[in-house]
Amino acid sequence: MTRTFVWILLLAGFLAGPLSVIAPLPPLASPVIAAEGAPPGESLGNESDADLWRRVRRGESFMLSDPRLGAAVLVQSEGEEWRSIRNGPVSRYGGILVLVGLGAVILFALLRGKVKIEGGRTGRRIPRFTMLERSIHWFVAAVFILLAISGLIILFGRYILLPVIGPSAFGAVASAAMQGHNLFGPLFIVGLLVMLFAYALDNIFQAADAKWIIKGGNLFGGHAPSWKYNFGEKTYFWLVVMTGLVLSVTGILMEFPGLVDTMWYLQVSTIVHATAALLVIPVAMGHIYLGSIGVEGALEGMTEGTVDENWAREHHDLWAEKVMREMAEDEPKGAAKPAPGAAE
Amino acid sequence: MTAANAVQTFIDTVDAAAASYMEACVHCGQCARACHFYETNNDPRLTPIYKIEPLIKTYKRHKAPFASLRRALGLVPAEITEDELNEWSELVYDTCTMCGRCTLVCPMGIDVAALVRKTREGFVAAGIVPEGLTGAAQRALDIGSPLGIKPETLRKIVDEQSQEVGIPIELDKVGADYLVVLSAMELLNFYEVIGALARIFKQAGVSWTISTEAYEATNIGIQMGDKEVARTLVGRIVDAAEKLKVKYVISPECGHAYTALKWEGPNLVGRPYDFKVVHILEFLDQLQREGKIRTKGKDTRRVTYHDPCQIVRRGGVVKQPRAILDTVSDGFVEMSHAGVANICCGGGGGVSSNPRAEDYRLRAFASKKKQIDDLGDIEALVTSCANCRNVIEEAIDEYGMELPVIGLVELLADYLEPESDAGEKAKLAEA
Amino acid sequence: MIIVEIIEGPLWYLAATVFVVGVLWRIIGILRLGRRTDLSVPRAAAIPGAVKALFRHLLPHHSFYNKTKLHLFAGYLFHIGLFVVLFFAAPHIAFLEERVLGFGWEAMPRWAFIVSAQAAFAGLILLWFRRIADPTMRQISDADDHVGSWLTFIAMLTGCLALQESNVSLRALHMLSVEIWLIYFPFSRLMHAFTFVLSRGYTGIIYGRRGVTP
Repeated sequence: MTRTFVWILLLAGFLAGPLSVIAPLPPLASPVIAAEGAPPGESLGNESDADLWRRVRRGESFMLSDPRLGAAVLVQSEGEEWRSIRNGPVSRYGGILVLVGLGAVILFALLRGKVKIEGGRTGRRIPRFTMLERSIHWFVAAVFILLAISGLIILFGRYILLPVIGPSAFGAVASAAMQGHNLFGPLFIVGLLVMLFAYALDNIFQAADAKWIIKGGNLFGGHAPSWKYNFGEKTYFWLVVMTGLVLSVTGILMEFPGLVDTMWYLQVSTIVHATAALLVIPVAMGHIYLGSIGVEGALEGMTEGTVDENWAREHHDLWAEKVMREMAEDEPKGAAKPAPGAAE
Repeated sequence: MTAANAVQTFIDTVDAAAASYMEACVHCGQCARACHFYETNNDPRLTPIYKIEPLIKTYKRHKAPFASLRRALGLVPAEITEDELNEWSELVYDTCTMCGRCTLVCPMGIDVAALVRKTREGFVAAGIVPEGLTGAAQRALDIGSPLGIKPETLRKIVDEQSQEVGIPIELDKVGADYLVVLSAMELLNFYEVIGALARIFKQAGVSWTISTEAYEATNIGIQMGDKEVARTLVGRIVDAAEKLKVKYVISPECGHAYTALKWEGPNLVGRPYDFKVVHILEFLDQLQREGKIRTKGKDTRRVTYHDPCQIVRRGGVVKQPRAILDTVSDGFVEMSHAGVANICCGGGGGVSSNPRAEDYRLRAFASKKKQIDDLGDIEALVTSCANCRNVIEEAIDEYGMELPVIGLVELLADYLEPESDAGEKAKLAEA
Repeated sequence: MIIVEIIEGPLWYLAATVFVVGVLWRIIGILRLGRRTDLSVPRAAAIPGAVKALFRHLLPHHSFYNKTKLHLFAGYLFHIGLFVVLFFAAPHIAFLEERVLGFGWEAMPRWAFIVSAQAAFAGLILLWFRRIADPTMRQISDADDHVGSWLTFIAMLTGCLALQESNVSLRALHMLSVEIWLIYFPFSRLMHAFTFVLSRGYTGIIYGRRGVTP
């Protein structure tokens, strides 16, 4: 159906010029240029070929030979603008942003080193993430990484991979990246929405966050108050949610172009999609570093579901106190002391 | 050398069923969620399938398909060592009651408890068995009872019970229809059951006896994984039953005794019995349905029933206790997971005979306690396994709870129609 | 493209042979161990018990739904998704018809194929991360669990990357990863696709005789 339509468009494009003069159709949408003498060249009408093509190129719409098709744009002029934005500033500054993000992480790692548990490990564990929370996190993380890699190939592959592996191999890689990106995209949307509901409550900004900002967190050595998530984590969460929603909507438009009737939405979508991705990817790299090797004891929350008591105190003091108070209250009374029930 | 014995036993003991279980396991970890020891300790090592690691390693190294190919490539697990066995002893003996609840949740339907049994057989061969169990086995072999009840003691108890209920009980009666065997715990703590049986059987007109040569059905060999001991203990009952020419042997209110006598016994002695084995609950249910047991009145307390694993989940006696309870109780309520999914008391499979496991056992009871607590005000707990009963009573003390634990047979006997009533009815009928 | 020809020719036959022979060898190897005749008097018949057990263990006992919901959800998502993709996606049916069976059947629409693949990926990702993000799962997992998961993931991923069906090398890459998967299969825990019948069956037989199906 779509293919037929394209063929008609193309055919119409070739025929529109000559036919517009020959066929007894209503006048063109644009004002007819007044004939002042014979136009140059071998044109049949009173308009020069060059002028006509220029109008086509500018994106004016023309009535097609079949009146049922109405007026149509033959050449999408905005497409060229879109292309130059996408392959120009978006790629350039976006690429720089990703590299700057990477550099910042490395620089931080070199300057601050691994953030240690200052009080040492107590050996006592407190529950931080349930199995469900861990599953949601890792699901979104896995899909995010697959999408980031395939997305970066789609955007930057032509500059980085094409010169290295040559056009035929790049053809395969690009096709693969696109198919993979399209397949995993919808999974990200599902994961993002589930994550939004599962994590939102603890990520609402609180009064303690202001103090955290003033102290600059404990990234630079000091101690700053925090509930389950500190100000930085909360900001990252909302950045992921916001950019994620933008990526989702624009992604749906691109995966299902039939949903909108003008190219404009799709062009804007690709630019916005790329911009949002390039904003969140560098920050995600920081998140990955801090959550894994950057902060001693942090990863355990996501792998074991529990964290060391001292880690909790040093990084999330307010939350730690609350959880430990609750655990003390739950401690069963009686002669035999059953261990706390398994965390789901 | 000890480890080598275990290895050889592991190799010999794995059959197609055990192999299928070990081959099919996908390490999904669900069995942990069914295990009361795991749930009350939150210790990954207590995942049921992990408890049998020595058996799996040996199977993979020596017996699994492709084992020789894998060995050539260096892709088999190392031979198990004595240290490993010692380390695993806690997992194999102290934290598994072979209750088989994990099978219910297993997507592959693996009978982990059966694998634990086979693992225990290797431990027995290696001589790595908790002292509590070896001691009990020794007493069972020497004296005839793991708890040290001698024939003289039995005579005394039976005599006492006989006088109390005023019904003569003839020991070693040749040609009786039914041979009653008891559990060690009943003889030690709950011997009122003998009087209860005497009254019920008198009313129902059952011809029965107790043997002084084989009065105990508790089979420590089944629990610890010693086939020789198991065979000897079952053999005693078989010999006595055949000597007395009884038609039936009644398996008592004891979990592992039923498994030992009914399901594993013929395989242990290597031939079908000349008599039939019937569980006491099955038998009472049958008598009741035949109208041979008449009860009067009902217990009004709010009671619940604890299913002994070996009788219900692994024995198939599920409906009978409920039918019996319904005739004598007005306030019977089921606990969550009642029936085949019931949670073990924590002391089956030899765990209660193993002092080393006491902490684990008491902690595991928390799962049972939760079931009971969830019901709200329960006034009594009924069960039909003397070992469960003893374990639960101890744990109830330990947790500072107050809840009487009653044997089902005794409860039934309490509501038997008194003889005078029966006599009057008979007179009326005659008139 | 000699490599592509090898992958789609001899290597395919090798992989298929290893798979079929290996699977049979392993199943026979297990059954060969045999079982001694059970001399106890049964309460009920064994074979109906086995059939019952085969179906009963499709779901855990209802007492455990709440504790196992995540695993149950992810497990079914993955297995149903993979099964549907494997046997009802047009390219797979075409391949089976042309290279293996000689007959084909109705393929499902492409969108359903994509959705099934997404379900399979979602399930597999959840299952694997559950394996590494839980101390209990880590305690009982071994290398085979991870290799099996990853080989399956790679086979599925290369399949998804070749979705445009316009590139011979991408198709060959998918073929190659599937061949590696097939060769690995009989030596690994992937065998549970067949052995589940044996383990459920034996439990059904043993306990069916006792009148219960745990």
